[in-house]
Amino acid sequence: MKAKNQIKSTDKHIVNLAEIVGGARSILYLKEDLVAYDCDGFTIHKHLPKAVVFPKNTQEVAEVVQYCSENNLPFLARGAGTGLSGGAIPLNGEIIISMVRMKKLISVDLENRRAVVEPGFVNLMLTNSISDKGYYYAPDPSSQYCCTIGGNVAENAGGAHCLKYGVTTNHILGLEVVMPNGEIVEVGKDGIPDAPGYDLLGLITGSEGTLGIVTKITVRILKNPEGKQTVLAYFDRVEDGSQAVSDIISAGIVPAALEMMDKTAIEGVEAAAFPVGHPKDIEAVLLIEVDGIAAGIDEQINQILEVCRKRNVREVRAAKNEEERARWWANRKTGFGAMGAISPDYLVQDGVIPRSKLPEVLSKINQISEEFGLRIANIFHAGDGNLHPLVLFDARIPGESKKALEAGSQCLKVCADVGGTITGEHGVGIEKREEMRFVFSEEEIAAQTDIREVFNPYNFLNAGKLFPSPGRCVEIKKELKAQAKIG
Amino acid sequence: MSVRELDLKQDPPCTSGLGNYLWSDPPDEKKWADCVHCGMCLESCPTYEQTGQEQHSPRGRVHLIKSVAEGKLQVNEQFMDPVFQCLDCRACTTACPADVDVGGLIEEARGQIRQAMPLTGVKGAISKFFLRDLFPHQSRLNTLGSLLKFYQKSGMQTVVRKTKLLNVMPEHLVDMESIMPEVKEPVKKKYKDVKVIKAKGQTKQEVAMLTGCVMDVMFSDINESTISVLTRNGNDVVIPQNQTCCGALHVHAGDRDMGRKLAKQNMEAFKNFDKIIVNAAGCGCMMKEYAELFKEDPEMHAKAEEFSEKVEDISKYLHDTGYEKPKAEINKRITYHDACHLAHGQGIRQQPRDILLDIPGVDMIHMPNSDRCCGSAGIYNITNPEMANAVLESKMKNVPADVEMISMGNPGCMLQMAMGVQKYGRSQKIVHTVQLLDWAYQKEDQTKEGEK
Repeated sequence: MKAKNQIKSTDKHIVNLAEIVGGARSILYLKEDLVAYDCDGFTIHKHLPKAVVFPKNTQEVAEVVQYCSENNLPFLARGAGTGLSGGAIPLNGEIIISMVRMKKLISVDLENRRAVVEPGFVNLMLTNSISDKGYYYAPDPSSQYCCTIGGNVAENAGGAHCLKYGVTTNHILGLEVVMPNGEIVEVGKDGIPDAPGYDLLGLITGSEGTLGIVTKITVRILKNPEGKQTVLAYFDRVEDGSQAVSDIISAGIVPAALEMMDKTAIEGVEAAAFPVGHPKDIEAVLLIEVDGIAAGIDEQINQILEVCRKRNVREVRAAKNEEERARWWANRKTGFGAMGAISPDYLVQDGVIPRSKLPEVLSKINQISEEFGLRIANIFHAGDGNLHPLVLFDARIPGESKKALEAGSQCLKVCADVGGTITGEHGVGIEKREEMRFVFSEEEIAAQTDIREVFNPYNFLNAGKLFPSPGRCVEIKKELKAQAKIG
Repeated sequence: MSVRELDLKQDPPCTSGLGNYLWSDPPDEKKWADCVHCGMCLESCPTYEQTGQEQHSPRGRVHLIKSVAEGKLQVNEQFMDPVFQCLDCRACTTACPADVDVGGLIEEARGQIRQAMPLTGVKGAISKFFLRDLFPHQSRLNTLGSLLKFYQKSGMQTVVRKTKLLNVMPEHLVDMESIMPEVKEPVKKKYKDVKVIKAKGQTKQEVAMLTGCVMDVMFSDINESTISVLTRNGNDVVIPQNQTCCGALHVHAGDRDMGRKLAKQNMEAFKNFDKIIVNAAGCGCMMKEYAELFKEDPEMHAKAEEFSEKVEDISKYLHDTGYEKPKAEINKRITYHDACHLAHGQGIRQQPRDILLDIPGVDMIHMPNSDRCCGSAGIYNITNPEMANAVLESKMKNVPADVEMISMGNPGCMLQMAMGVQKYGRSQKIVHTVQLLDWAYQKEDQTKEGEK
């Protein structure tokens, strides 16, 4: 047993880091192991980390961070690695600090409706742990079966039910953060909402791991809605489907979720592990869920059925039972992975558009698809205008990855041009750095990197993410400064 | 070092198609082409749960297997570790949105590893003993079985206790003591000269039965129960004498040549039957996947596919063809453990539960995560004891405290769970689903006889 816990490397950094985290079982440094960490859910860029460490507690995280910072080693934090924009890819041969062994549910305070978790705690596990008491955690990214709440905080993750309940940032009450110099700070102590001073919680949530490493999270938990019902509607024309979406919202209904898939997406989910028998020739399927006080639900459902019928729906019906409802959702929530059944690789984009522009945007995306010769499926959080074009490609064909990236970028351009933006919930990461220029001027970008500099002055923490490569002298000066420190 | 942008790097296209896999029958590119690295499999994986490390996750393993084909990694010691730490439990296949056959890839990769690095040392000796010297040879297994019986009968109970067999050889319910048989001889031997075990009453169908190796030696009473349940429900049962081990353990261990040999022998042995009934999940799953072994031999591949169609787990067979509902009560609180190769491997989840629910008096208690691996995984618990124990520990935590029996459909799980019961000071009896049905029938018969 002892032999197994011994380090076989002579690299002094590996030896020292292993010492901090408690031996060979908590560090990976051999190439064969590191290959598994060369990308996350975004697979187009790959790079090997220098090592992966598995701290057990905040203290170890702080010590690792301090060590890296003192020895000029770039580093970053990683959760389950399900991110879709490449936020956890070690572009610069980083030391990866894996948070997955910090996976405790520290406390649940039902009275004050909050829970404290470690960052490696899996999103869905929180709901599973409190559902018997009638509570749940609202943000539900499709990867909730395995993604960590720490990663959700970094990316400010959204999900199907964020239309009514808000995204991750609306559910974070407090954070413990290890700063890039190893200092441990608490933000939003005691989980009191709306603390005086600047909204640092809001700043750190969604900072994509560039401002600090979150080691403890206080989240808001909600009481289960009394009732819940889901409706499925098939449309022969995308225009009718998207008009129905607008009509539902205009009717004053706030659905818990309002999802749309187009024809190619339907082909994917039907070919995969959780088919529900959607007709093959349908142009759009809507999944509409309402929840709340049981008394009002039937009336809302009737209203929704009526709206859909007015918009030439081919077929519309409410789920017969919980089992059918669960099947519809499994079909939708595994939608991205399901693309594997019809394509070797995919690139998912994450634009946001005004709902009314959907038909226009979809037809432009179709044009892009034709122009690049790549199929594009669309999965859409229609209620809040968050569009996910999935560019299908085959990385084995030389040049096709690059083409897919360009096609994806074009899709985002379309979103930005109609008055939308380039990401709703997946983050910028590596993938959309350059596209930040579609929505921000150089000055606006520089203002944001100035903020980063306050927290992360030497940019050792998750460098090269979130913002485009240095475009002007201010940025270049910072670069020189960082190099001077290293040199 | 400066923090710099990396140019978009193109993955090198696969040069030879096989990369660093040098032997025939390499991992199938089509299998990993479906994986888009989404990570939905992570939480389903027992070894990822234990280690939190990507290389010990389904997605990570697929990525490594692909990397060898792409020439980025070699088939070496370091590659072997994650590939052999896999329990081959197939939970990831259930979790995967794109139906990636991770289990198949793992088995193919193991085949390559075993050819690149034949086993040496203690592990090699253990594997060779079990896989080449023991399981394919029924007579040797029988000898082992006789030894076990000798130990029991000679009063060397401590020995038996140490091998944790006490909980497995079902110590029967007190009220059933009279009707339950002693540990019997293997049924394959017992029915050596019986061509057809006739159905009670009218014959509906003739079926052949795989007696299995572990099953027939250590659990011959389960085989007896299977025969009894089949014949009671109108099936003539044939036990072809030239059948052999299904080869699952060999294929799991990367010994695909031996797997092919055994597969061929079984395909020959069972060729004249329309239905092949299996009561061990691992064997059933393997026999349904024989075609995987013959990817490079189209003729055998076609034959194997045809053969696999005929293989059926006992619970599904009973469920699909109908069975007499037992009338006697078994008043026990029972929980059900999904054997990986039944639930994930064959998609059989509800059928065994329905059988249990059809027994009057049975109080079914839900086991959380019932389809989580118990750590048995063929001979994994012998070759990777540390991980197997960790997996077992988390399994046992899910066994409800107040149940009296744990029912399942696989002998490997039965041994492992019995060990868990012993190790964690629990009291449950481990039973095969078909045994419970048989006991209910027998109790019913006995009651009837008493009334006469």
